[in-house]
Amino acid sequence: MQASGTKLALGIYTTLFLVFLYGPMVVLAILSFQTGPEGGPQFPIIEWSTYWYKHLFGMTPPTRIAPLPIEEALVRSLVLAVMTMIVSTVLGVTSAQAFRKKFAGSGFAFYLIVLGMMVPGVLVGLGMALIANALGIDRHWWGTTFVLHVVYTYPFAFLVMLAILNRFDQNVEEASWSLGVSPMKTFRKVTFPLIFPGVLSAMLFAFTLSYDEFSRTLFASGRDLTLPLAIYGTFSVEVHPNVFAFGVLTTLFSFALLGTYAALMMLSIRRARRVAIQEEA
Amino acid sequence: MAMTAATAEPASADRPARKMPDRTFWLLAPGVIWMVLFLVVPILMMVYVSFWTQTTFAITPTLTIKSWVMFFSSDTYLSALWTTIRIWLIVLAATLIVGYPAALFVGLFVRNKTVQTVLLVLCVIPFWTSFLIRVLAWRPMLGKEGAINLILQGVGLINKPIEVLLFSELSVIIGMTQIYCVFMVGPIAFMMGRIDQSVIEAAQDLGAGFWRIFRTIILPLSMPGVVVGAIFVSVMVLGEFATSAALSGRKVNLLGNIIVTQVGSLKWAFAAVAGVILTILMGIVVAALLRVVDLRKEL
Repeated sequence: MQASGTKLALGIYTTLFLVFLYGPMVVLAILSFQTGPEGGPQFPIIEWSTYWYKHLFGMTPPTRIAPLPIEEALVRSLVLAVMTMIVSTVLGVTSAQAFRKKFAGSGFAFYLIVLGMMVPGVLVGLGMALIANALGIDRHWWGTTFVLHVVYTYPFAFLVMLAILNRFDQNVEEASWSLGVSPMKTFRKVTFPLIFPGVLSAMLFAFTLSYDEFSRTLFASGRDLTLPLAIYGTFSVEVHPNVFAFGVLTTLFSFALLGTYAALMMLSIRRARRVAIQEEA
Repeated sequence: MAMTAATAEPASADRPARKMPDRTFWLLAPGVIWMVLFLVVPILMMVYVSFWTQTTFAITPTLTIKSWVMFFSSDTYLSALWTTIRIWLIVLAATLIVGYPAALFVGLFVRNKTVQTVLLVLCVIPFWTSFLIRVLAWRPMLGKEGAINLILQGVGLINKPIEVLLFSELSVIIGMTQIYCVFMVGPIAFMMGRIDQSVIEAAQDLGAGFWRIFRTIILPLSMPGVVVGAIFVSVMVLGEFATSAALSGRKVNLLGNIIVTQVGSLKWAFAAVAGVILTILMGIVVAALLRVVDLRKEL
């Protein structure tokens, strides 16, 4: 498209759009450096300080503002995210492998899996709570919540793997088999390096989505809080800048994960390119 | 093992021509069983429990339609249903209006591949950050002493703060629009990127203006993206309760909020009724959207 006037207008619009997208987060980050404990969650900044960050880690003298109950919640959220990541990646890889051959009922299975990412958390969460209630099972973050997290993240892993395997040349694997390499070794040496970018993406989806997942967790977990539940707890009371400071840290954590992912992807692409060049030579 | 056989049944229904091979079956079984047990069964349970008998603190599995009658004769529940539908329609329109031009620019106008990728990544990064923190970030923006009021007063556009910005229906709409517009931008920009530039150039050579090109080429070709985006946004907005809880000061009650309160007070059967109604609503919306464009043909 070459209409330069339209292009300029749309360019300015897109810039404003990005401001709309990121503005609130930037404001939240600025306000997290409000002075404490008397500074409130609004402008003007009375004095710049890192008080609320120290408050988060319990390094300030106690005040009427209770510290966020994040310590144990953080551990639970991380363990839950790792559990979810492992199970949904394994399920995603195996089911996507199954879809490489056409089979009867593949449409049904496909929609059943994809349904998991479409059905809102409030519905599955409620359903799970009803089952737990009817069967007299206790709800726990490592039980009822965990299975629902997998229901949500496994479809992402599945779709990512499906996209990778669709572009994947099966002859490479068959060549390996016909040369007498065992199926296990073929998977390790041939298949896995080829699907690695997909596995990495699946892991990223599963980990971050589980780490931030809220609505499924709210219904399906018992008394023990995960991080999002701890944050939700502060919504009903007065908000202090300590929640903002926590928001900044958890967002930075998400960015660090994305950064690690990007770096690993870059490495894997570069390695693939090097192998391709060697093959040509 | 009985479970395995049961779930595999529909998959191998149209035998014997292409019976599922053993390997495929074993690869697929764990995932399918997981989804049946923890997705299909909970939803069916919700439908079942909506017909149970609710007493003050417990439910008994005696079938009745009392909870359903109760829902449709209660002003609170019915108004929650209307609010849900109203907020959904407004947010859907808002995400489309806000997101479409940005997707148009990123998908079609940016010719440099690197810049395009960077812009797309910028648009989808919020998806990987905490949803609750993004909701919370609107509090210091919209409040009476919030950033927007301060800026507007500083520029001199208004003399006294706009109070309706926070703890109102408007704040819920603003918050949801910002949170969900990325789901609109992504699919639309993707479809835009697939439009063959030479078609547009040909139209230009033949003397078509931008609006003509937009109406006859760009808009129809981007429709599948709009439908996919609309499905994502609809399903998520209809299932919302956290944004309204955090930004409306309990003034906006969606069906989701009703479910949360009912579960909180152990009124399981009522919560289940609200859940079933929400499910039906979503089913209708998604089916209607799929009517607009035949996705399987377009994608």
